[in-house]
Amino acid sequence: MSESAIVSTAITDWTEAGKIVPSPIDMLASVAIEALNRAKIRPRDIDAIITNTTALPFNDASFITISAQHFAHRLAEKIGSHGVHCINVCAACASGAIALATADAMIKAGLVKTVLVGGVDNSPRGFYYQGPSILDPDLAVSYPHKVVGITNPSYWAMWARRRAYEMGHSIEDIKELMALVKEIQSQYGVLNPHARYKKLFTKKEVLDSPLVCDPLHLYMISSVSTGAGAAVIMDMEKAEKITDKPVKIAASTVGSVVYGEPSPRLVYFATSGGKKAKKPFTEWRKPIEAAYKQAGITAEDVDILECHDTSCFHTINWIDQAMGWEREETDKLIRKRQIRHNGELPVNLSGGTSSFGEAVMCQAFVMINELFQQLRGEAGERQTTKKAKIGLCTAYGAYGSYGAIIFEKSW
Amino acid sequence: MNEEKDQLPVVEGIFTWPSDEPKLIGSRCPICGSVQFPRSNVCNNPDCDHSKGTEEILLSTEGTLYSYTIHAYDLRPPFDYHKAPYAIGAVELPEGIIVVARLTTVDNKRLKIGMRVKLKVDKLFDDGEKIYVTYFFEPVEE
Repeated sequence: MSESAIVSTAITDWTEAGKIVPSPIDMLASVAIEALNRAKIRPRDIDAIITNTTALPFNDASFITISAQHFAHRLAEKIGSHGVHCINVCAACASGAIALATADAMIKAGLVKTVLVGGVDNSPRGFYYQGPSILDPDLAVSYPHKVVGITNPSYWAMWARRRAYEMGHSIEDIKELMALVKEIQSQYGVLNPHARYKKLFTKKEVLDSPLVCDPLHLYMISSVSTGAGAAVIMDMEKAEKITDKPVKIAASTVGSVVYGEPSPRLVYFATSGGKKAKKPFTEWRKPIEAAYKQAGITAEDVDILECHDTSCFHTINWIDQAMGWEREETDKLIRKRQIRHNGELPVNLSGGTSSFGEAVMCQAFVMINELFQQLRGEAGERQTTKKAKIGLCTAYGAYGSYGAIIFEKSW
Repeated sequence: MNEEKDQLPVVEGIFTWPSDEPKLIGSRCPICGSVQFPRSNVCNNPDCDHSKGTEEILLSTEGTLYSYTIHAYDLRPPFDYHKAPYAIGAVELPEGIIVVARLTTVDNKRLKIGMRVKLKVDKLFDDGEKIYVTYFFEPVEE
């Protein structure tokens, strides 16, 4: 089986959501060209384009923008193509990670040598509503807002409260921990030129911000943004001719719904039944464990983590799931601020979704870009002081979409 | 509630209505027993042979509070009838599934994970002509 590697990445500045200029396809094309230029290749050299889709403009529950479902094909037309494979990936917030996993699989299968992976999103503002579409009136996922008034942060808040309960902690304890995560991650947002929020937040400011859904306060929840990103993935042999620092994709996995998952899953009315897993968040863990197996590593080998943090609870939960520790260990790590660039396990040195806001379907490109830079020692003031060899990226999204990628320094 | 004839479920097919004892409508697989809410036409157990379609069942009206949150913001249109503060809970039913629901109280002192809660259908909003109802769970006072 071939090996694959990232040879270049590029992301735009993340900006306020809901503005229509520049157009998404222009943003995507610019960032794609930037990634190709960094790799010193032309569209002629690409064998496949894989992008996320989006549901722009999202302002009418029954309306889906068909053109936004076909960014790969439109990008091929826009930058020039000789009939490359075009694939559009739709997996909510995990779309970018799954686009990359698809590229990785195609290269490792020997089907293609060079893939341009990219994504763009201009996310709807405010609480998300899933639908219903008049042609897709699925009771399971289309009506929870209407019937119950539940939003994405409601699920996250319930997870956070449950974690505190299971650990025998007070609700104030988990609030304080989430506020500390925000304080730490904001320090890296300030240092990231592409981050939308270049502002230091103190724990107190976070706890003083308005309560949205108890225990989540406003500054613990990611906002929504506009942004675009791209990466060039190559067969390792070819990659080594392009760069002396190819970042190997040691593993890439795609996760989804698990029958018996005990935690209420985002956007559904109910859990799936069956024999319950002993620990919650099986769905989050499974693709990570599969990635460790694929890469032949264990959690202890992970030097640096970029995780999808649509709320500060997510960062905590990702550390729980990725490290396989007792949860108390996660709390200790965060309280000792060992998730900083010079800590035991640096987490979200990009500043995280917390500092970017979420350009939903393409958010993974922030994490991919960060790990690429960190492993190559090109992250500037955010650079970890660890001799990082292995980076883990974890993504999750609505409907039960998950992805995990392991990057490895290969020089 | 009065004028029951003008009370409509906010969405059809989620709970029995009109009814003196409303219940959530789910489904069960006659082969493996897997329960789903809302009802589904096929079984969701990956190990089931799926040789028969599911059967509609009415779910238990009492359960245990798995977790909850209190929303401090109204939703935006068209769901702005969800007026803050309102509480949402995840309720574990004896059938082995957890369902999300509105809770009848936003009083944090009355809510506790692990407490018993029971189903109640009540008014969600009215549009001047009709009253729309949805399902809630309320604390069982012990």
